[in-house]
Amino acid sequence: MVPGDEATLMAGATASQSDIDLLRTRLGLDRPMVEQYATRLAGLARGDFGYSSTFRGNPLPHVLARLPATLVLMAAAITLTVLLGLPAGMVAAVRHNGWPDYLLSLLVVGLLAIPNFWLGLMLIVALSVERGWLPSFGFTGWASLVMPTLALAARLVALVARMTRGVMLDELAKDYVRTARAKGLAARAVVGRHVLRNALIPTVTVIGLQTGYLLGGSVVVERLFAWPGVGDLMINAVGARDYTLVQTITILFVAGFLLINLLVDVLYVLINPRLRRA
Amino acid sequence: MKRRTVLTLLSTAATSPLTLGSPLRALAQATAARTLTYGQSGAVNSLDPAQGAFTTYPAGYEVAYCLYDRLVDFDENLKFVPQLAEAWEVAPDLKSIRFRLRKNVRFHDGTPFNAQAVKFNVERLVDKARNPTNRPLWDPVAGTDVVDEHTVVIRTKAPFSQLLNSLAHGSGSLVSPAAVEKHTEKGIAQNPVGAGPYRLESFTPGQEVVLRAADGYWGGKPATDRLVFKYILEASTRIAALRTGSVDVIDSVPVQLVAGLRKEANIEVVVRPSLRPMGLAINLSRPPYDDPRVRRALNHAIPVDTIAERVFFGFAKASDAPLAFDTQGYQKQRPYEYSVAKAKALLGEVGFQPGASGQLERDGKPLKMTLLASDGLFPGDVSIAEIAQRAFQQIGIDVTISKIERGSYWDALRQERAALAFDLAVFGFNPSNASGLYHLESLFKSNADDAARPTVWNMGRYRNPKVDELLAQANSNPDPAKQLAAMGEAQRIVWEDAPYVWLHVNQNVTAFRKGVKGVELWPIVFTIPRRARVEA
Repeated sequence: MVPGDEATLMAGATASQSDIDLLRTRLGLDRPMVEQYATRLAGLARGDFGYSSTFRGNPLPHVLARLPATLVLMAAAITLTVLLGLPAGMVAAVRHNGWPDYLLSLLVVGLLAIPNFWLGLMLIVALSVERGWLPSFGFTGWASLVMPTLALAARLVALVARMTRGVMLDELAKDYVRTARAKGLAARAVVGRHVLRNALIPTVTVIGLQTGYLLGGSVVVERLFAWPGVGDLMINAVGARDYTLVQTITILFVAGFLLINLLVDVLYVLINPRLRRA
Repeated sequence: MKRRTVLTLLSTAATSPLTLGSPLRALAQATAARTLTYGQSGAVNSLDPAQGAFTTYPAGYEVAYCLYDRLVDFDENLKFVPQLAEAWEVAPDLKSIRFRLRKNVRFHDGTPFNAQAVKFNVERLVDKARNPTNRPLWDPVAGTDVVDEHTVVIRTKAPFSQLLNSLAHGSGSLVSPAAVEKHTEKGIAQNPVGAGPYRLESFTPGQEVVLRAADGYWGGKPATDRLVFKYILEASTRIAALRTGSVDVIDSVPVQLVAGLRKEANIEVVVRPSLRPMGLAINLSRPPYDDPRVRRALNHAIPVDTIAERVFFGFAKASDAPLAFDTQGYQKQRPYEYSVAKAKALLGEVGFQPGASGQLERDGKPLKMTLLASDGLFPGDVSIAEIAQRAFQQIGIDVTISKIERGSYWDALRQERAALAFDLAVFGFNPSNASGLYHLESLFKSNADDAARPTVWNMGRYRNPKVDELLAQANSNPDPAKQLAAMGEAQRIVWEDAPYVWLHVNQNVTAFRKGVKGVELWPIVFTIPRRARVEA
């Protein structure tokens, strides 16, 4: 049970008790818990997520309208992670104990330690207020995507880089690598064709699991950049005690999380053919 | 953009092909100068004055004040000025007002504004099923009589001196009856049609509202062609947007950031006290707080100026009446001077003496207090509670702060008497219709039944028949001077009875780019861009 009464909040500070009771009846909050729960489940099955006080009706269409913005942001963050984190980790592993390795370790610690909202704020000051290169808020074009993506992806990039480096080091020490080198394969082929493929499995797993972090992080980042996505809606819904809206978003978030992890399982098979028979 | 301007620019471009870039830039600037963008701290989800009004206060109201006209308007100082009513006549018994309506006014959909439209709107607002919110404003209304096309009489059930306040309030916005018919009761929230200086161009709920100057507005075409309201929740993001110039106006600047903004050459900051006096509501239903001397002692014990300076960086003023400074009917009282000695002396009179540990005791029982504080509902609420705790501890009271999450705070306050879990509670009331009488009635009028939940916001169970009588007088005496006198006297009595520890009135801060003129900051927390324009 959550504390606080939706009807009281909706009626506002000036409402009398009878007005609140009227609202409560209209919202069905006066009925037994079991009945409310059953009504709710039956509604969900039909795509009716209930009565949202923010939108005065079924919130689903409104949430779906906001969803693309969040998905774009997440996709951009994941892409950036793969493009930056993976190669960085590989280079660090290959040049183990060399300067790229040390540099990366330093960066990783830094990026993991910086909270995303602070990074976002600094980006706004540096790139938007001081230089005017990028729009500071909202979505007005693809340039708007740069700073939110950086703020959201920074932690994930660091995490994936560190993960890749660790796994690659493990793999590089294995017998098959020695064999591959012994039969005269070029270093590039050893790393690219053999080591990387094996190292990818745990890395992809991490990315899949970190989608949860991305969803949570998107709430913060979207607020900071006034990004027209679902996270922003979520904050308002919590403040307004719009349970229906919070639940709708949560259900969609969970569905997204499951879907991405299913996708990860499919990716396993693509990366490692041996798993197809397993 | 006037056609002549375009032609001039085009001809300049034609005669000097080498400088094609500059006229295009000038064209862009000329266009930009006619658009004003306002970064709002609240989201606008609905634009129907009924059906739960504009949901987010004050964001929706700010848009509504540009989109809709009402019968009566406020000016910047909350005085009534005619809008769609040219003149009005209050009946001597204060039970009705006769309005003469402005002629030749049309809603944005082309339908005429007339007495029938007023009747339709008032009836819609009075109907609880269609308009479940803002009830204290509309419950007293009995009905509307259409006298002729341009004359209408609005009647109230009992003498009601605040009818003009209700009509000037944002929920008194007049909607086109034809549009309600066309878009249905539900759809009008997303497709609002009014008769204000701006009409709706586009509306993305929770993100953006774009308004365009309405042709043929009776008050002349507004100075700005387009008004864009963009929702930016995060304060630092709003400020960054103002500094980059992507918005022209922002509201709700956090007070700790004002000093930094003031240093910026191209930004101006306006400050105005709100209508919400903050205080600690005292639960009078239990000893020793049923004794006015104890309550006065508490008022002497609080360093209100310290709160104003330390918590709000000087952007708050110590209260000197139960009402805030700009509220209609406000009358200044003698402030309770901060004096630990006076507080202790008053408590001594009642029988409280310091015990062995320095704590105040009476008959061997220590004086304890539970202070209820919201968390994030009012600006600085937790800090206020902590300072109060320290201050009361200094006179020997043992204070426990009970923090309540903001979503359940209203509920915690409005309990049945037996279930009241506080001695003092942080509270502030904002009279959204600007009426001091509404404020006094909501907080200090005796409850119908003190044992039950409070009728409105008298959760401390304050009860003084003299105050009730004065408030009734203020509501039924046709002479405005007598109304004011009754309200002044009521404030004096309440101030001395001290059912609150009176604290401060916060100031609201709005900022805009230099060159923006005519942004109004109303004490009812509204940043109104209705008459604003950008001068290059």
